[in-house]
Amino acid sequence: MSSPAVRQWYRDLAMGLRFAFTGGREGWVRAVLTAVGVGLGVALLLLTTAIPNAMATRESREAARQDLGITYYENGDSKPTDKSLIVADTDTEFQYEEIRGRLLEPEGADAPLPPGLEKFPAPGEMVVSPALAEMLESDDARLLRGRLPYETVGTIGEAGLIGSKELAYFAGADGLAKRIDGSVVARIEAFGQTEEQPEEPMDPVLLLLTLVVFAVLLMPVAVFIATAVRFGGEQRDRRLAALRLVGSDGRMTRRIAAGEALAGSVLGLAFGTVFFLLGREIAGSVQILTFSVFPSYLNPSPALALLVAFAVPAAAVAVTLFALRGVVIEPLGVVRTAKPARRRLWWRLLLPLGGLALLSPMIGQGSDNGQFNEFMVIGGVVLLLFGVTALLPWVVEAFVARLGSGAVSWQLAVRRLQLGSGSAARMVNGIAVAVAGAVALQMLFSGVEGRFTESTGLDTTRAQLELALPQGGAPVSTVGEKLKQAKGTDTVAALSTSTVSATRKAPEEGTEVTVGDCVSLRELAQIPSCEDGDVFLMGAPEDPTTVTLATAGRTLYFDASYKGEERGAEVAWKLPGEVKKVAERPDSLRTAMSGLMATPGALPAKAEPFLYSTVYVRTDPTVPDALDEVRNAAVAIDPLIRTWEWETTRQVDEFATIQTGLLVGAAAVLALIGASLLVSQLEQLRERRKLLSALVAFGTRRRTLGLSVLWQTAVPIALGLILALSFGLALGAVLLRMTSVPVTIDWANVLAMTGIGGAVVLLVTALSMPPLMRMMRPEGLRTE
Amino acid sequence: MTAPTPMPPAGSLLVATDLRKAYGPTTALDGAEFSIHPGEVVAVMGPSGSGKSTLLHCLAGIVPPDSGSIVYNGREMATMNDTQRSALRRSEFGFVFQFGQLVPELTCVENVALPLRLNGASRKEAEQTSLGWMRRLEVDDLARKRPSEVSGGQGQRVAVARSLVTNPRVLFADEPTGALDSLNGERVMELLTEAARSTNAAVVLVTHEARVAAYSDREIVVRDGKSRDMERAV
Repeated sequence: MSSPAVRQWYRDLAMGLRFAFTGGREGWVRAVLTAVGVGLGVALLLLTTAIPNAMATRESREAARQDLGITYYENGDSKPTDKSLIVADTDTEFQYEEIRGRLLEPEGADAPLPPGLEKFPAPGEMVVSPALAEMLESDDARLLRGRLPYETVGTIGEAGLIGSKELAYFAGADGLAKRIDGSVVARIEAFGQTEEQPEEPMDPVLLLLTLVVFAVLLMPVAVFIATAVRFGGEQRDRRLAALRLVGSDGRMTRRIAAGEALAGSVLGLAFGTVFFLLGREIAGSVQILTFSVFPSYLNPSPALALLVAFAVPAAAVAVTLFALRGVVIEPLGVVRTAKPARRRLWWRLLLPLGGLALLSPMIGQGSDNGQFNEFMVIGGVVLLLFGVTALLPWVVEAFVARLGSGAVSWQLAVRRLQLGSGSAARMVNGIAVAVAGAVALQMLFSGVEGRFTESTGLDTTRAQLELALPQGGAPVSTVGEKLKQAKGTDTVAALSTSTVSATRKAPEEGTEVTVGDCVSLRELAQIPSCEDGDVFLMGAPEDPTTVTLATAGRTLYFDASYKGEERGAEVAWKLPGEVKKVAERPDSLRTAMSGLMATPGALPAKAEPFLYSTVYVRTDPTVPDALDEVRNAAVAIDPLIRTWEWETTRQVDEFATIQTGLLVGAAAVLALIGASLLVSQLEQLRERRKLLSALVAFGTRRRTLGLSVLWQTAVPIALGLILALSFGLALGAVLLRMTSVPVTIDWANVLAMTGIGGAVVLLVTALSMPPLMRMMRPEGLRTE
Repeated sequence: MTAPTPMPPAGSLLVATDLRKAYGPTTALDGAEFSIHPGEVVAVMGPSGSGKSTLLHCLAGIVPPDSGSIVYNGREMATMNDTQRSALRRSEFGFVFQFGQLVPELTCVENVALPLRLNGASRKEAEQTSLGWMRRLEVDDLARKRPSEVSGGQGQRVAVARSLVTNPRVLFADEPTGALDSLNGERVMELLTEAARSTNAAVVLVTHEARVAAYSDREIVVRDGKSRDMERAV
């Protein structure tokens, strides 16, 4: 381009920029509307691009505070030093919320402080996270206050937490040294991972899910920004006509219009930065499912932020120029030919077909750890979803052209759509893309869920809580008895496990022995008669060693040593004169049981230290908060007792995280699109203010006009949702084929997504009713 | 001491007395009076901002006055609620505005038929009646065109047809020729007054143009919110 042409471009764009801010009140309103719209989009883009960083920060904070499990093998004979600290894991759960708990006992002056702490709490004191402090102060935290009987002396700093809403505490303790087991209680000299953990490559299906989630969430935002830069377009066109009258040519007016859009989008970038900063603060105060972050975690990567800063204004100019193609701005007004050029179908079909072409080579890649080409996945998904936005105007136009007239409200709506369905289709585009993407993702999630959801094999009707007793604590029988008396307990089964060997020096030649009273053992096997002192053999074990060992009168050994080792603390156990064979219960508390079962009276007293004990509690459903009552009782017996609630399935963490991310993102996107719909709707109504007042003046019922607005939105929305559903299902099917999962449709989920999209529109229509009623007031007829 | 309110002429169809209306600090009507007989054409004149349009809006029941009385056909309009006033406007009144205010997405015949359809007429029946009125106003050839495809004068004639299609007893015309050239303006006025007289409709004609007012039987001048009946003043 020659330099005079460049100068002309520059001059026209600059004039447009000036018009945006010097067009009086209306000009300002338009610029601010555009800026707010673009700003919301930019803020969401920045927040989305900040999510990977937030995840990474959470992971690094988690790694930096790691304290258990890493020194397991060194703990057996570790000695206290100036730098040693004993840490006990006392994680718990309250009202289904997880609480990270640690007991701390520094042994030396240089014991490492956990991240987020300024000094160690003394025994009887605790330092809590802000969210836990808030929870402890709430009225319904009576049970929690009972469970954490420590005096709160401080707050855990951000460095010690992985989210603003994380519930966590550090409490001071003493006497932990004799409880060290390297697992629940450990002696450490530093926090954090001692060595770099090898990074596992992400499962290709999870990678696919992540890519698609990002594409699906960002596409509607892009569509939204494109809509926002066209806010107030009709008013602007009239202004441009005035410019034509004073001599500007068609190209100049287009560039001036682009300049105006540029102004709105640049202001939108500023607004977006402010919204992002505000959103970051708000994000710090909310928790979605179990996910929360601190505002400081949400830092978009500079490269992505820069891309947003350039791409948004550039897109604003491109969209404006594109939108003005079909508009002829004449000196005496804006001319839209009564019958605008018919929309062409062929190029609109090319987009989704192109998307399918990009995705098809990857069909079946997910079955054998194959790789997905990231660019092809994103390109394919984007083209398919973009196809929705390209096809929708054509579909709406073709459909409404065939609609007949009915009641006045219907006639007004249909005729308006027939005259120009473009703006209506644009309004719906964002929702349609969001719904199409969400439907596809729901299908993909449902399809691959089985792959990432493990069955625990636990029967939650048999027990709800499992409590693991630490070594060196109260005897299992005592714990069992106390828990039996606890509020909220229905029944208790206290079971211990150990291994017994054939000789003192052959630990590998052994079998498992499960110990419990008759009532507890009957939770595992069908035992016709049982007395304390009895020993049983479970089922017909296939393992010949077990059969051999289970011989009546034979002597077995607990804690056998390996050959060549010095004699240890092996404890001899002579089996009684009879070992009864019993069958496993079909609904046993423990599955795949085998080996010996013994009542406590059958064991030597010295065997106690070698038993690992677990108590299973069936809670009383009539007692409110029964689970928490039992947990409290357990902590009162020994704070080191670990408690788990039984669940029938367990999801792979990464899968659950992606699913959570989708929910969070989809909610934000739908809220944003709802806001944009409302702005567009109000803008259209404002444009017709005078006409609405005139219609009311000659007696049109407000209900008629309200209904016409509803039809006007409902028709394109219905078409948009049908299209979105078709594309969503098609994309979902392709994605499932890519992961080699049979294509099935979870209609409940799919229809729920579609329903949510429809509900957003109804909500927006409802919200636009009060302004519509105001605009229909006769004051709208005043001209002076 | 306030001057005694003059008695309205006997047989008036629409009578307003001592109308007051303010928009915030701006007084639009300050004791205005008005009356009109069936079949009479009354021009409401006055400079810009004098309160002419406000008077018309009050008379038509579009805007309730702050005080004063408006009696239509023996019924006090202040006692009617919004629904009743809307029904009255739909069935008894007709309106023509300066810029036609045709619904851009409807064809001309659909625009004319709109008041009938709002009154419950079927589309076919309403459009048939509308075509008759369009013929009288010489715009029947535009029936299937949209407002954006017709000229300003033609559009205004379509608007007049719309205002008369329900056979209103009162036709309110607010600057009906304000956006037209003199030739078109005169033609519209001729057609409007002829059609109104043929149905014995009263016409309240707001204008600031003397040549438009010349089509009226009587003139009322509004200034600073007060009205003055020129005929009685003479």
